[in-house]
Amino acid sequence: MEEKEFSLWHYIVLGSAGLLSFLALWEIVVGVGLVDPYFLPPPSIIAKRALQMTAGEDAVLPHDIRVSATRVLTGFMLSALVGVPFGVVMGMSPTVRSLLNPIISIIRPLPALSWIPLSMLWLGIDEQQKYAIVFMGCFASILVYTMDATMRVDPILRRAAMNLGASNVQVMRHVILPGALPDILSGLKVVLAIAWTCVISAEMVGANSGLGFRIWTAKEWSDTGQVLVGMISISVTVLILDILFRGIERLLLPWQRKIPGT
Amino acid sequence: MAEKDTGHMSSSIIRIEDVTKVFHSRKGNVEAVRGFSLDVHKGEVVTLVGSSGCGKTTILNMVAGFIRPTSGTVFLEDSPINKIEPRCGMIFQSYALFPWLTVKENVEFGPRINGIPGIKRNDEAGRYIDMVGLEGFEDSYPGELSGGMRQRVALCRALANEPDILLCDEPFAALDAMTRQVMQQELLQIVGRSGQTVLFITHSIDEALVLSDRVVVMSARPGQVKDKFKIDLPHPRKVDIQLTDDFLALKRNIWDLVEEEVRASMKI
Repeated sequence: MEEKEFSLWHYIVLGSAGLLSFLALWEIVVGVGLVDPYFLPPPSIIAKRALQMTAGEDAVLPHDIRVSATRVLTGFMLSALVGVPFGVVMGMSPTVRSLLNPIISIIRPLPALSWIPLSMLWLGIDEQQKYAIVFMGCFASILVYTMDATMRVDPILRRAAMNLGASNVQVMRHVILPGALPDILSGLKVVLAIAWTCVISAEMVGANSGLGFRIWTAKEWSDTGQVLVGMISISVTVLILDILFRGIERLLLPWQRKIPGT
Repeated sequence: MAEKDTGHMSSSIIRIEDVTKVFHSRKGNVEAVRGFSLDVHKGEVVTLVGSSGCGKTTILNMVAGFIRPTSGTVFLEDSPINKIEPRCGMIFQSYALFPWLTVKENVEFGPRINGIPGIKRNDEAGRYIDMVGLEGFEDSYPGELSGGMRQRVALCRALANEPDILLCDEPFAALDAMTRQVMQQELLQIVGRSGQTVLFITHSIDEALVLSDRVVVMSARPGQVKDKFKIDLPHPRKVDIQLTDDFLALKRNIWDLVEEEVRASMKI
């Protein structure tokens, strides 16, 4: 127990020390004139800019974060809602798998960016188009992760359940789904990051709001400070969502928490 | 102590009739079992002994309905087994517990699937868990338990489903020698108390002799009945029976037969 507290403490101290030295070095390098602040503003300027964007008269940042996050989560949930059930069925049935695999193999390698022209022609640049981009970028990956997870469930557990009287539907509900859940969740975690890439790209090409739009507009005005504030906001938002996701994972998979000393 | 009547008079629960199993693969056909016949009577503990690869697991899998015989039939009380049969409860060597369910939820799995109401299955599960000394671990997950404890849970899970026959596929083979003896003792107690019918497979002659009313020695592949022994050692048995002269004489007899087959199988 003591060792664990110590290592966490260590981790925090060393982590902050590393981050602070990095920021200090950056500030100095720009401050002594080695790098032109026009291209790379120092952390102090970025912080000032971030403050303006959050609290000043043009406080656009909170709104942009909210808009982008909503797009990411909506598109991501939609693709999970379709991808997970299809993946489970494909994992369980060789017939369905052979039937759908060629289609999935064609869709999956397409980068989300390549869907932007078609989606704009079909849907314009409103919210539905953003959801569509995320959906096309995520759903095939979610499906494949789920299918693999389903196929990795130990076949002896299927046998054991049927030996106890379970029907095929009960095996799916009580064995395959819970057995595949850990791998499905780690797949979803990877895809959530992909969803962010999709939204930021879509916003850079055609949007009136969102972090991608904000970064792209700032570039037009050569406002490197705002570009960096936008980029850091993406990092921080993704980090927060990742922490939330881990919490959900722990809640759904209590049996994977190793309890020492039992 | 009077010798326990093992019920040879009563009708058989399992009748394996002239069963042959051939596995097909790209490399060719493998005949795992040939012309195997055996009756298991109610309340009896029968053990199949044989070297690795002699087809004993194949026979057990056919009784459970996991695989079908190529020819011949396995009967469960006069009806042929042609699908996975929940009345033949299986205990696997690798435990096959559901890692996402607690001990209690694992034990309740069969009753829950079969629609037994919550209160009743709760009581039942508690009774079985107490019986194997796992009280206090009801809410633990299998990943937190030792091998011996996991196999106890598997035993509870099979018994809670009230099977007509318990099929044991080398259930103690993965345990250390000490735990193994304790588990044998516990199985003997449970079987002695409940009169549960058991078909057990093992490659340990000691284990077979300690547990069984009858021992069937199998030949090397393709698996056939090499010889059958009625074990008249007194009941209730304890593992220290292994030190008696009767036990050692039987062991020597069986070992001679098994040794022949092991040597035969190594020549292939």
